[in-house]
Formats: sequence, structure tokens, C-alpha cells
Amino acid sequence: MKISHKIIFANVFNVLLIILTGIFSYHLLDLVLTKLRFTEIADDLNKSFLEMRLSEKNYFLYGDGAALPDILQKLSESKSLIEETKDDIVKATGEENFQQLNESLEAYREAIESAQSGGEAGEALDESQPQEAENAKAKAVEASVREAGQKLREFSSRITRLERTNVNDIISGSRTGLLTSLVVILIPAIAVGQLIARRMLGSFKEIEKAAHSISEGNFSKVELKVSSDELGSVIKAINSMSEELSNREEIIIQSKKLASIGILTAGVAHELGNPLNNISMLAQGYRELYDSLSREERLNFMVEVEEETERIKEIVKNLLDFSKPKEAHLIKMGINAVIEKSLKLVQNMICICNIEVHLCLSDGLPLVMLDVHQIQEVFINLLTNAIQAGSPGDAITVTSRPGEDGGGVEVEIRDNGRGIPAEHLPHVFDPFFTTRGTSGTGLGLFVSYGIIKNHHGSIDVTSEVGKGACFTMRFPACTEGDRN
Amino acid sequence: MANYRIMVIDDENVVGRMIKAVIEQDPEYTVETFLNATPALSRLKEEKFDVVITDLKMKGLDGMDVLRHVKQDSPGTKVIMITAFASLDSAIEAMRGKVDDFFPKPVKIKELKECIRRLLGN
Repeated sequence: MKISHKIIFANVFNVLLIILTGIFSYHLLDLVLTKLRFTEIADDLNKSFLEMRLSEKNYFLYGDGAALPDILQKLSESKSLIEETKDDIVKATGEENFQQLNESLEAYREAIESAQSGGEAGEALDESQPQEAENAKAKAVEASVREAGQKLREFSSRITRLERTNVNDIISGSRTGLLTSLVVILIPAIAVGQLIARRMLGSFKEIEKAAHSISEGNFSKVELKVSSDELGSVIKAINSMSEELSNREEIIIQSKKLASIGILTAGVAHELGNPLNNISMLAQGYRELYDSLSREERLNFMVEVEEETERIKEIVKNLLDFSKPKEAHLIKMGINAVIEKSLKLVQNMICICNIEVHLCLSDGLPLVMLDVHQIQEVFINLLTNAIQAGSPGDAITVTSRPGEDGGGVEVEIRDNGRGIPAEHLPHVFDPFFTTRGTSGTGLGLFVSYGIIKNHHGSIDVTSEVGKGACFTMRFPACTEGDRN
Repeated sequence: MANYRIMVIDDENVVGRMIKAVIEQDPEYTVETFLNATPALSRLKEEKFDVVITDLKMKGLDGMDVLRHVKQDSPGTKVIMITAFASLDSAIEAMRGKVDDFFPKPVKIKELKECIRRLLGN
């Protein structure tokens, strides 16, 4: 799944949770509102019922004749209020309680009406009925009215109480519900966020490593399980970029090689120029001086010509060596031993030139596959250059350490001699490039570069004029597949 | 009979030796040879030379350094440059430094001798 899909999915999930919580809260608030509305109605009814009971008391205690019609009036008002707000009441208390309330009202109304009719009849039959019977009947009516009133009031109070409790329950329930939904939203949001962030950061780190390695000129493909998300696309893009860079590098190397051939040819022409000139000079001298030369001197001339041709032969042989580099005989070896051996070989030169050597060799370095003689040649070349770049009292520091990317070995040869001017730095590995006139062949670093490349390593140089130069070589660690 | 003093500076000893042997056949010329420029320039300070023949590419001070010093210390001395670089660039560079003549390798000693003669006005 693509990262954007994951993020959309996580967002949709969270939005759904938020909507659900919203609906839940809305529903709860609606319920609370209904219940509150009912309690308001119930308060009105209760107040009305209380007034009815007061009128009832006035009627029975003080014989207030206006009390009963007043009660009936209030009853009919309450009835119409109940009918008006039937929906709210039913919603809050249920149909059954509504019916019960209606029935209680009806019972009370009937009791009041019978009390009223009883009172009127009592007045009409005042003469015919004995006083006791009348009293008894009046008491029965009073009791039934009181009972109905009592019931109505109690029922109403009970429902009101019940609903208040309900409202409290709902509010505390919704508080718990809201808290729960907050947790339910937060946990997946954090978890999903964390998960995506960790995955992305992990992959970014890998990509950063790959980009870093590419910037160092290592164009090998990024070995990552290619996921189908955007990071997978980035890794694919990096791989194709790396491939393209590798192709370009090959093209550059090819054109450099061509340029090198040009430099090489010019170098060869120059190198051959001197012995050829010498032979020519010897021939001219021989001809000019022939008569004045003794037999032995003439023979010496020819010996010298032969020596010059030997010189030419040597140059041609070396040239063939460069065009067909010797095959490396690689063996598994610790680099420190080669460094120490090379230093021994230049020890005499170091002593004569009065140069200090600091060795910083790391222990436990991985073994590398190398041709001891060839690598020794490289180290001796670099050490000789460093010695010649310095003055008495200067120092050379030779360091070996694990490779920066964790694998392989790095060797650094640093001097604090006169340094290499910036404009010469890109050419130091070119054939016949030298700043030392005829004393340098200009082939040392060129050959060293070839040897290191044959070892699948790399060599580069940094320098500042007056502060010295630093050559850094990187060798890959040998793998299990490498022989001995 | 005039006696001309000629100096040859070349790190290839055959060059100096052959030039000296051939040119000194003519008793008018005395040739001194040097394998590098530093002692040659000290010698130039001691004695006046009529012609200095120098290789362009040498370790230490090179032909151009020699040319500069000679023209500075002894403007009358002629300078002939010998070089293995038979390229136009070096020739132009050498000419710019007011070199009196220029010989690519391999040098014909007879031509060199004629050149010396010409430069000395004979």
C-alpha cells in the first residue's frame, strides 16, 4: 500500500471515529434536552397538582364552594398541557407512563366531579337524608378525592424524580462515552502515525545512506526490499540514477583514458626524445671525430649507443607493462602488515631526509584481498612522494582504520609538506604528470591509481598548498567467497 | 684569434660531451658543460660566456630560469634553448622570453655550430 493511501486510510479512520463520537454526543445531548424538557413540564404539572391539592384542602376544610370548579379548571388546563406536550412526555417517559398519568388525572377528575355532584345532591336532599348518612357519604367522597389526588401527585413526583436520575445518568454516561471515544481516537491516531513515521524514517535513513554512498562514487545498487509505496519508487529512482551515473562514469573514464593516451603519447615522445637525441649526438660526434678517435674510444661510442638503445627498450617495456597491467595475485591479508613492510623499505630515505613518521594503525581491521607487491608499490610511491614533499623535521602520518560505511579498510598517508596546488590536483593521477622535472617520471601515481582500481578500491587526494597533502585509499573487505 | 666561451647545460651528459668534443675541434671555442643549472649559474657570475646552450626541461632550475638569469646578469650573452618538446607552444614561450635561438631534439651539432657562429656575428 502506498504511503499516501496509508495516510488517507488513517485519516478516514480517524474522521469516521470523530463523526461517530459526534453522532453519539449529539444523540446524548438530544436525550438530555428531551429529559430536561420533560422535567420542565413535570415541574409545571407538579405545581398545578399542588395548587389543586390546596384547593381540595380548602374545599374539605373550609367548605369553599369555588374550590372544586377551580380544581376542574386546573385539571382541564393540565390535561391540555399534557396533550400538547404528549410527544415530549412519551419520548421521555414512554407510552405506558403517559397512559398512567392520563388515567391518574382522569381518576382525580372523576373523584372531583363525584365530590361536586355529591355536594350538590347533599344540598338538594338536605331534608330527606339523615345527617349521619350524609356525613358518611361526604367522608367517603373526601377520602376518594384525597386518594386520587395523592396518587396523582405521587405518580407525578415519582416520574419527575426518575427522569432527574435518568438525566444525571445520561450526563455521566456521556462523559464516560466522550472520554472513551477520545481514547479510541487518540490511540489509533498515535499508533498509525508512529507506524508510518517509523517506516518512512527507516527507509529515508536507508536512502540517505545510499545517496551518501553514491556521492562517494560507489554506484552499486541499493539493496533494499523494494516496497510498492513511494519509498520504493524513490529507491527505484536512486537505483536508476546510480546506474546512469555508473554509465556516465564509464564514459568519463573512457574519455579520460583517451586523454591519457594523448598525455601518454606526448610523455612517451618526450621520454624517447632524450635517448634518441643522445644516439644522434653520439653518431654525429663519431663521424666528426672519427679520425682523431682511438679504436677503444670508437668502441666506447658504440657501447654508449647500445646503452641508449637499452634505455629506449626499457621505456617501451614499461609502456607495455602499463598497457597490459600485471595480473594481481590476490591473497587475504591484513593491511597493517603491508604498511609496516613498506615503511621498512623507505626507512633509509626517511632517516636521510630527517622526516618523522607517526603510525596510527587500528587493530581488528577486516582482512582485504590484495597483491602484496602491488599494494607495497603503491604505499612506497605515496611515502616517497610524501618524503620528497617535506623538509627535514616534517612529519608523515600513516593511518589505517575501518571504512566509513562500516565495511572495508581505509588507509591514509598524510604529510605536512609543501602540498599540491589546486590546479594540479585533478591531474596528479594522469600519466607523466610530474612537478619534479626529470627526477619524476610522472608515472608513480598513475600506476598506483591503476593498482588500487584493480583491487576494487579507490584513492583520492586532498591538499592545501603549504599545509601538505593527504592520500586516502579505500579497500573493500574480503567476503566469505574469497579464496584463502 | 678570438676565443669564445660557450656553456652547455643539459642533464644528459652525452649532450654536453658531444657538443664540447665537436665544437672544440675549432680552436676558437672553449666549451664548459654542466649537468644542472645551479652550478652553471654560479659559474656565469664568475666568468662571462658568449653563448649559453641549455636544455629546457631539467630538474631544479629549468631552461627558462637559466634564460631569465642570463638575460638579467649578462645581457650580452646569447642563449640557445634545446628541448625535447618539439611543440609550437614551447617555442613561442621560449621566444617570448627573448631566447636567441631554439633547437628541437635531436639536435644537429653542425647546425648548432652554424647558429653559434651566426649569433657571434662571424
